Amino acid sequence: MTTIADQLTIERRGHAGSAARRRTNFVIFLGPAILLTVFFFVVPVIIDITVSFTDLSRSLRISEFTTEQYEKVFRTDRRLSQVIGLTFIYVFGTLAIFNVTFGLILAITTTAIRNVSGSFFRGVWLLPRMSPSVLYILLWLWAVSPTEAGLVNQVFMQAFGLDAPLDLLTSAPIALIIISNGFIGASMGMIIFTAAIRGIPEHLFHAAAVDGAGTFATIRFITLPALRWPISFVTIYQTLSLLVSFEYILLLTKGGPFYDTTVYALYVYRRAFESGQYGYGAALALFLIVIGVIVALLGWRFFDMERLLQRPRIEVH
Amino acid sequence: MIHWKIGTAALLSAALVSGCAAFLAATPLFAQETVKLELWSRQDPSGPLRPGNVIKAAERLNKELEAEGSPKRVEVAVRESPAKGFDDDALQLLKVFGVGEGPDMFIAAHEWICAFQEDGFALKLDDYIAKYPQHFGTIFPSLWSSAKCPDGTYAIPQDAEARMFFYNKKLLREAGYDAAFVDAMPERALSGDLTLDEVLEIAKQVVDKTKAQYGVLHRPNKGPDYIMVFQAYGSDFVDPATGKLLLERDKLAAAFGWFERGVKEGVIPANNTAMEFDALRKEFYTGNAAFFMYGIWDLGSVAFPTYGLPQEEKAFFADWGWIAGPAPQKGGSPVSLTHPIVYVIAADTKEPELAARLLGHASAADLNTDHAVTTTHIGIKPEQLEDPRYAKAWPLARATELLKITKFLPNNSQFGDLNGIIYAGIQGIESGRLSAEQAADFVIEEASSSLEDVIVK
Repeated sequence: MTTIADQLTIERRGHAGSAARRRTNFVIFLGPAILLTVFFFVVPVIIDITVSFTDLSRSLRISEFTTEQYEKVFRTDRRLSQVIGLTFIYVFGTLAIFNVTFGLILAITTTAIRNVSGSFFRGVWLLPRMSPSVLYILLWLWAVSPTEAGLVNQVFMQAFGLDAPLDLLTSAPIALIIISNGFIGASMGMIIFTAAIRGIPEHLFHAAAVDGAGTFATIRFITLPALRWPISFVTIYQTLSLLVSFEYILLLTKGGPFYDTTVYALYVYRRAFESGQYGYGAALALFLIVIGVIVALLGWRFFDMERLLQRPRIEVH
Repeated sequence: MIHWKIGTAALLSAALVSGCAAFLAATPLFAQETVKLELWSRQDPSGPLRPGNVIKAAERLNKELEAEGSPKRVEVAVRESPAKGFDDDALQLLKVFGVGEGPDMFIAAHEWICAFQEDGFALKLDDYIAKYPQHFGTIFPSLWSSAKCPDGTYAIPQDAEARMFFYNKKLLREAGYDAAFVDAMPERALSGDLTLDEVLEIAKQVVDKTKAQYGVLHRPNKGPDYIMVFQAYGSDFVDPATGKLLLERDKLAAAFGWFERGVKEGVIPANNTAMEFDALRKEFYTGNAAFFMYGIWDLGSVAFPTYGLPQEEKAFFADWGWIAGPAPQKGGSPVSLTHPIVYVIAADTKEPELAARLLGHASAADLNTDHAVTTTHIGIKPEQLEDPRYAKAWPLARATELLKITKFLPNNSQFGDLNGIIYAGIQGIESGRLSAEQAADFVIEEASSSLEDVIVK
């Protein structure tokens, strides 16, 4: 027979045990994520801030700590306003036309047709994402080559009787970087939206059909409301992704002609790695980090992502 | 018995003594010290013997060291960089030096040496050059100016070449120019009678009257050739009094104006800077362009082997030719540019003396001629002119005529960056984003904000 004191001791041990387990679980489950965040986000940001206050240049030597780089950003760099404007057009254009809208259209159409055909078309739209970036851009370069051998020119000249070959790299470079990035970006939205559509209970569609809802009414009142959270997620995620990625642009247009397709991240790269102005590149990159954090927080607030991540009120067993 | 013992002891002693003597005699052999010298070189099909000659030179130096009784022997390790051009290569190498991993010697384009000198990575060579006249004494004096920084000589010229406007005579004849006119163009250009605008006029006739699509093509990346046009219009980019970068707005605008007129006339393609280098070469060498601004070495490296242009002198000049960069107006001065590649020794190499002697052997007339005749580069010593192989390589002899008027890119540590800005200006004009005046302002603004000590007039 145990006394009350014994019971209290056992209970305390139990509490102590569960506290230790909680600590262990914390280390096991969150430890790797925290380490990754520290090493791949916090440390690089600290290094970036430090470098931005130096005169680090092409021979990687620091001779003084200075605020000169920030003076350059605010006072003397006349390219920046153009670069920021272009970045806005590029991010907004790619996101609005392809990553969300076209991804959504692909998801809705490929889930509306037979499963085999739907899977086939989704597979086709995944190809750009699965291709190595250099190969993908080589195909683009061939397609838009300003000579008669380019795919686009072959089609336009032979099928539509165009006289002289088009030079899209010079005449429509911004459209080209939006389309080439969009073809890749659309596939991510497509997959997430498809999964979400598949998760909508089937009986809702049957009920809507019984109530006489047409295709558009079904999409408007059943599909789209169920996709609110995936759309929010894709929008925030892809905005951040587009802000910092530039490899396809670098390969396709090298940021040109002139500075026409030099988006902010590419501008940072050109300043730091093509001109060897590492200190200045770091200062510019810091603004990109700040912009990224602000966009993420605004998106979080605007799309009310907190509610998405709340515990479900009804526990399902 | 005693005699036997004494005999044996004597024999053993003799063996021991002779063994010791032999050991002592052989000591230098055992103490031989191999000095490993690392050479940084860009993977460059237009000059494989630049590092190759240094490897061959090691054999000669080792024989010399052996004859001197020195225990040292040199071994060369080549570290190849995959950089696309000499500018990228120099930027990469500056970083390598910055992290303390630099080589003992490196090969660079001459205009970059002062960037290395400024950061303390290059060794001053004046004393070595004076000490080894047998190696360096006969190098053309004019080439040494491409190896100098403000306080001395920091490099050894490895080769030279000539930049010019190649032209397709066949297309010009098809456009209606008679053979006498076409053949007289090189002479007219050298005398200042042929102007840059006349080149645009001729190119326009070719585009209008023949099947050729392009009038004038230039390189699609940052480099030296288009700088000829700026030099023709009077921009030398360096203030002779101070050695600082100098930008003169009117002269810049005048040079940019030539590119602007070329594009407006449909002679220079708007997408020249977006074209691939190989595609661009193909357009010229297969007869789709009238003029191509480039360098003599391209004949040996690409035009002959890849596009089958005639290798025999008379056959070549029947349909092809070149002119110096024409003057901006009649009676003005024509221009040509030479872009020497140089050997440099690292300031922190442990064996500067051996490195200097090694590069001295690599600069031997016969080895340099191997490089010159196989890649159509101009030699560095007058004795090479007597080599029958050199005499047989007619493009070299003919291009040497241009050396009378040749200029260098400035040896300013920031010129590489300035050239990038100038190239962006040309791209802005050709793609229709900037006018000539705006391009001049763009270059001045960009250079003033991103480079140091720029004089603007």
